[in-house]
Amino acid sequence: MLKIENLHAAIEGKEILKGIDLKVSPGEVHAIMGPNGSGKSTLAHVLAGRDGYETTAGSIRLDGSSLLTMEPEQRAAKGLFLAFQYPVEIPGVNNSYFLKASVNAVRKQRGEPELDAVAFMRLMNEKLTLVQMDRTLMQRPVNAGFSGGEKKRNEILQMAVLEPRLAILDETDSGLDIDALRIVADGVNALRSPERAFILVTHYQRLLDYIQPDHVHVLAGGRIVRSGRKELALELEEKGYSWLGIEEEAA
Amino acid sequence: MNPALKPVDTLDTWLLGSSERLTRGDPPWLARERACARERLREELVPGPREEGWRYTNLRALLEQRFRPALGVIREATGALEEGKLQAHLVPGLDAWCVVLVNGCFVPELSRLEGLPAGVKVTSLRQLLLEDPELVERCLNGVAGLGAHVFAALNTAGLHDGFLFHVAERTHLEKPLELIQVSLGADEPHLIQPRHLVRLEAGARATLIERYLSPEPSLYCTNNLMEVDLGEGSYMEHHRLQEESPNAFHLSGLYVRQSGHSGYRGSNLALGAAWSRTDIRVAFEGFGGDCKIDGLYLAGDAQLVDFHLDVEHRVPGCASRQHFKGLLTGKGRAVLDGRIHVAKQAQQTDAHLKNANLLLSRDAEVDTKPQLEIHADDVKCSHGASVGQIEPEQLFYLRSRGISIEAAQRMLCQGFAGEIIDRIEPEALRSYAYGKLSAALDRKIPAE
Repeated sequence: MLKIENLHAAIEGKEILKGIDLKVSPGEVHAIMGPNGSGKSTLAHVLAGRDGYETTAGSIRLDGSSLLTMEPEQRAAKGLFLAFQYPVEIPGVNNSYFLKASVNAVRKQRGEPELDAVAFMRLMNEKLTLVQMDRTLMQRPVNAGFSGGEKKRNEILQMAVLEPRLAILDETDSGLDIDALRIVADGVNALRSPERAFILVTHYQRLLDYIQPDHVHVLAGGRIVRSGRKELALELEEKGYSWLGIEEEAA
Repeated sequence: MNPALKPVDTLDTWLLGSSERLTRGDPPWLARERACARERLREELVPGPREEGWRYTNLRALLEQRFRPALGVIREATGALEEGKLQAHLVPGLDAWCVVLVNGCFVPELSRLEGLPAGVKVTSLRQLLLEDPELVERCLNGVAGLGAHVFAALNTAGLHDGFLFHVAERTHLEKPLELIQVSLGADEPHLIQPRHLVRLEAGARATLIERYLSPEPSLYCTNNLMEVDLGEGSYMEHHRLQEESPNAFHLSGLYVRQSGHSGYRGSNLALGAAWSRTDIRVAFEGFGGDCKIDGLYLAGDAQLVDFHLDVEHRVPGCASRQHFKGLLTGKGRAVLDGRIHVAKQAQQTDAHLKNANLLLSRDAEVDTKPQLEIHADDVKCSHGASVGQIEPEQLFYLRSRGISIEAAQRMLCQGFAGEIIDRIEPEALRSYAYGKLSAALDRKIPAE
């Protein structure tokens, strides 16, 4: 489904990703771990098509199509979803209005009919229950004044509504207490399906207690230095990154 | 537009040949007022870019026009509007009394004033000059004085019609009064100069909605002037929507005088016209006055929008708050000049002015100039202006959710404007304003 080959990417001339190779098949959950500064978030952003990154070599293909030539909105329509580490506040834009615009923009690009108000409400209510989110948050501006947990839950709600092929969760566990973490993880687990794949980008093993990965990759210095099964994450937790000869950069 | 035309030297040029039709039946005092104004037009050269109030607002395109006062097209115009043309421009669901002016002239056939409560008078200025000229004499220029600039004199010199809105002591108007000013094109560009007098007596309450529109993209110039006199403890809400033709010039003067403990709450939406200039002057003349004015302007290619605000704290214990926001696309230009003046005796003044602008293009320009002049020593005053761009973070967030770049920009603009529009009452007008803004953004930020 996702095939990354020899991906090199730089910010302002500084190379961050130095040849990433990764294959993700439908139904799989991949965890990408690594110390601060290893390029984890860069990889997530390059996948989603954020401006400011220069891909100097390599390719990313999702279901056979090259992502690198696509705009972020086209990637979303193609089924890619990025849950942000720091969900962005959009003052003045109603959360429910935004979500409806989003789902209909994606549907339109896919040549599907747009949802009317009733159909959208039904979908939203169903997913709100799934992620156990307070529905009053839908009538507030997007993420504005939300707590850290509410913001992350809003990301999971968007993911649930957009039903992506491939979801990338960028440090979704950061800044969450155990209860919030469990709710986010439950949301992700509920969305696991044989057609859908996940990439979890995380610094800590903690999230993986709740979402069991099929594969774990360790990113360091812009390369994947080790891949393995979920036991690799436990080993990392126990022995630290230095076990792999990786020095942690100060955050 | 003929580029070979020389700009007019004096604004009097636009009134030449129409004097007789304008002045027929004038009471002597009005003839004198008019003559004074004419004199001023003849003597005063049109403002140039060296004058502070016009530094960023180029008048040349306006002065190259050869306008004629709009006086004679009313019959056929009214006929066309009666056939339902006006229907398309009404605010859906708005329950209001309504006055319609076509090319500056009050049209009773199109107005809806049945059932106005006792103590509320809404009438055409023309009619009032016949029925009660003394009332007009008492009110005219009583608040505006000489006005902000020579265009005020142009309005007085060309005074023809307009409306008077008078609310008696302690009378509350439950429904808003809507003033719809329609411009209809003709063979030659019109100068449309309605004059409005609003007076709320002590303890009165009313909401006035004021809209300028044109069913056609015609070229004309509106130069309206409204004087608002608020009695002790009265309260007025005033929502103004400028939806002029994209080829129009729009000049608007609003002069407000506030007696003690009176309240004024206004909003100004400037979405139309090729060129517009609004002057708002508020003077506090009694303790405890409160004034809140919001504004939102949108300017794209070939558009200039200018607001000049002037709040005079002449007496102690008054509060004013002005909040204006601007959206600029393409080669749009905007000017915001906001002055707060606090006189020496105006202690315990609470005065704040905020202006924020969002520029969507490198070619857009805004000149913002908030000014505080404080002569008292026990006051709370602030001003602030900002000019920014869309946050790339926000744009990426929306796009990552499948929303196109243009739709994302429009959404962020709406969010930016929402703070102002959300304060518009009643709800029907607020929805209408959102719709108008959204349509304007669709035109200015079209999908690829």
